[in-house]
Order: sequence, then C-alpha cells, then structure tokens
Amino acid sequence: MSARRPRTRPVRKPVSSTPAWVAPLAVVAGIALLVVAFLVIRWYTTPLPIPPLTTDAAQQVVSSISSLPASELDAVGAGSANNLIKPVSGSQLTGPNGYPEVFYLGAEYCPYCAAERWPMIIALSRFGTFSGLKTTSSSSSDVYPNTPTFTFHGSTYTSQYVDFVAVETTDRDRNPLESPSSAQQALVNQYDSSGSIPFVDLGNHYAFSGAMYLPDVLSAMSWTAVADALAQPTSPQAKAILGSANLITAAVCKLTADKPASVCSSSTIQSLEKTLG
Amino acid sequence: MRWQLLALAAGLAGLGVSIYLTAVHYAGVPVACPANGTISCEAVLSSRYALIAGTNVPTSAAGIVWFAISALLWTRRPGRIQLAWSVAGLATVLLLVFVEIVLVGVICVWCTAAHVLVLVIFLIALQTANGGRVRS
Repeated sequence: MSARRPRTRPVRKPVSSTPAWVAPLAVVAGIALLVVAFLVIRWYTTPLPIPPLTTDAAQQVVSSISSLPASELDAVGAGSANNLIKPVSGSQLTGPNGYPEVFYLGAEYCPYCAAERWPMIIALSRFGTFSGLKTTSSSSSDVYPNTPTFTFHGSTYTSQYVDFVAVETTDRDRNPLESPSSAQQALVNQYDSSGSIPFVDLGNHYAFSGAMYLPDVLSAMSWTAVADALAQPTSPQAKAILGSANLITAAVCKLTADKPASVCSSSTIQSLEKTLG
Repeated sequence: MRWQLLALAAGLAGLGVSIYLTAVHYAGVPVACPANGTISCEAVLSSRYALIAGTNVPTSAAGIVWFAISALLWTRRPGRIQLAWSVAGLATVLLLVFVEIVLVGVICVWCTAAHVLVLVIFLIALQTANGGRVRS
C-alpha cells in the first residue's frame, strides 16, 4: 500500500503590497496636473490686448458715446447697473474753477476702473466736454484682463456746471503715474476706508467705490464695438453702461441744482435722483 | 487615532476660515489678503462666482456646513462615510479651483487655504479607508 502523499494546497506566491504612500501621491499628482491644465486653458482663453486706437479714432469713439440721444439714455433708465452711490456728509467739495467737484481716483491696470470710466465719460459729457482722452485697457494679468477703456491721465475736462478732477495712480503695467494730494487722500480715507478703486466723490454729497457693473460685459470687445453696442439700448453693454451713466448723471444733477435743465429735467433723471437719497 | 485627530483639526481650521470669509462678506469689510496680479481675494470674493448660484449666500457659507459636518464625522471611527464626504468636498474644490484659475484668473489665498484643508482631509480619509486592505 503506497502511502498517499498529503495533498498540499498550492502556495500563493506572495504579492508585494502597494506602499501606503502611492495612493495619496497619485491623488496629489493628479490634482497638480489638473491645475496645470486649468492654467493652460486660462492662458489660451485670455483675450489678447487690443492695440490702442489712434488719437483720431479714439476721438471718434468719444464723440460717438458722448453724443448719444437723450431719448436712448432715458429709455435705459438704471438698466442693469448696480447703484453704488451713497450719500455722504461733508463740506461742499469745490473744484479749481469754483464749481462742485467730481473727484475720481483709479488706476489704468484696474478692470473695475476700466468699466466705470465708460459711464463716467458719458455722464460728464452731458455737462461738459472731454479732450485728450486716450484708449487703453486694463492689466493683462488681473481679473477681467484687457478690459477696453480710456484713461483720464493727460485728459482735460471743461464745463460750466462741474469741475472734474481725476487721478490715475498707475499705468496698466502698474508703473506709477500720478499721486493724490493730501486733501484727496483724506477724502479717500474718509469715504473709502477699504481703499477700493475706482473711488468717486461727487461734491462730498455722494460717493462710491467699485464698478456699477461687471467688466466681463466688455470682454474681448474693441472700443468701436462697445460704442456700436451702446447705440442699441437693449444690448447688455447699453443696459450696464448707460444705466450707470444715468445714475451718475442724477447725482451730478443734484450737485448742480438740476442744471442744465436739458439734462436734469428728464423724468428718468428726476426719478433716479429720488433713489439717491 | 493620530490621523483622525489631524482630520478633525483640519476640519476645525477649515471651519474657522469659512466663518471668517462669511463674516467678512456680511460685514462688508475688506478681507485681510495681499493683492497683486496673481493674488486677489477681493477680486475672487467680489466675483459673481463667490455666491451660491441664484442666491445672495456666499460660497463660504457652504464651506461652513461642509467643514462642520466633516469635523463631526471625524469624531467617529474612520470609515467609508468620511471618504464619501471628502470625495464630495474634493470635487467641489476642483470646481472652485477651475473658477478661480480659468474664469476669474486670480487666486484667493483664504480660499486656497480652505481647499488645501479639504485635500488634507481627503488624503487622510483615503489613507484610513485603505489602511486595513493595504496592511493585510
């Protein structure tokens, strides 16, 4: 009788276990790759800066946006603008020509300043005349990159109703341009404690900081395209920019005791004045 | 136990960050944060993506809820529930990082701190969930 050899179960060859650090490392590496992919998408989708317009072409755009018919502005009303204008109590701010002063502090790199200059130019053009406005765009490396706009640096404004004083602190590459005087800085400290720009003081009766609409409304548009869109009251650009311009116009009308009547007596402006407080 | 305590601490730290950002939003005061071309908490937190869609509630309020629940979960024995919760958190973080980098184009330091804490919690959940299988 031959002895049966005991049946042995096959021995499984030991498998080396996965080191504990592999899974976390794989997750971290995957996330790092995803972040790189996001950066590449951002780089590809960021609109390139549009070359500035020549002086003549810029002047044409300014003429176009500053001669919009009152009926169109009235039709838009406050549009889609976010009314940031708040009443402030201070002694009357008077400009270099003895008129109530509108003071602006901003910077060329700042996308919110870029957005807010459009309605400021349109509103103030109803009380006077700008000259020397040049086109520029906000920083390429900030939020809402390359937002098309104008710069107040080097421009002049004449009016028989209000004075406009503007300080652009840096260019679009954040190189220094102008500095506020101590009196102007005191206004900023008093009414804009967060230091947000743009800051606008309307004769020490009203003030606001920030843009009344998001700059992405102007994304990848040329100055001419924006001017064309403003001629269409139902366009998103007209609702945002003209709505903001009407709110600023109403505040300026409060400073000028509703002069000129051709601007301030419209039912739209009168109605917006009541909302300003 | 050590990992559990670390996850609990990360949850509480994230809760603190979320409470701070929510308080800043409702108080209307500036957030303490450096600002340059790449970093700007103000730009991110004032963008339309900083609010939960269709509401005026800041995204950081959702962070309060997520971190609070996460901290509560990590007071219990680690298991699949912590892993599932952290997967949901990590997926949201990836979406928010996409918004920051691609749509807004700048980084919010406080938001990034919260995102890193979510990642830490996820890695701990992954490690503790894998722990038994890997070592057996």
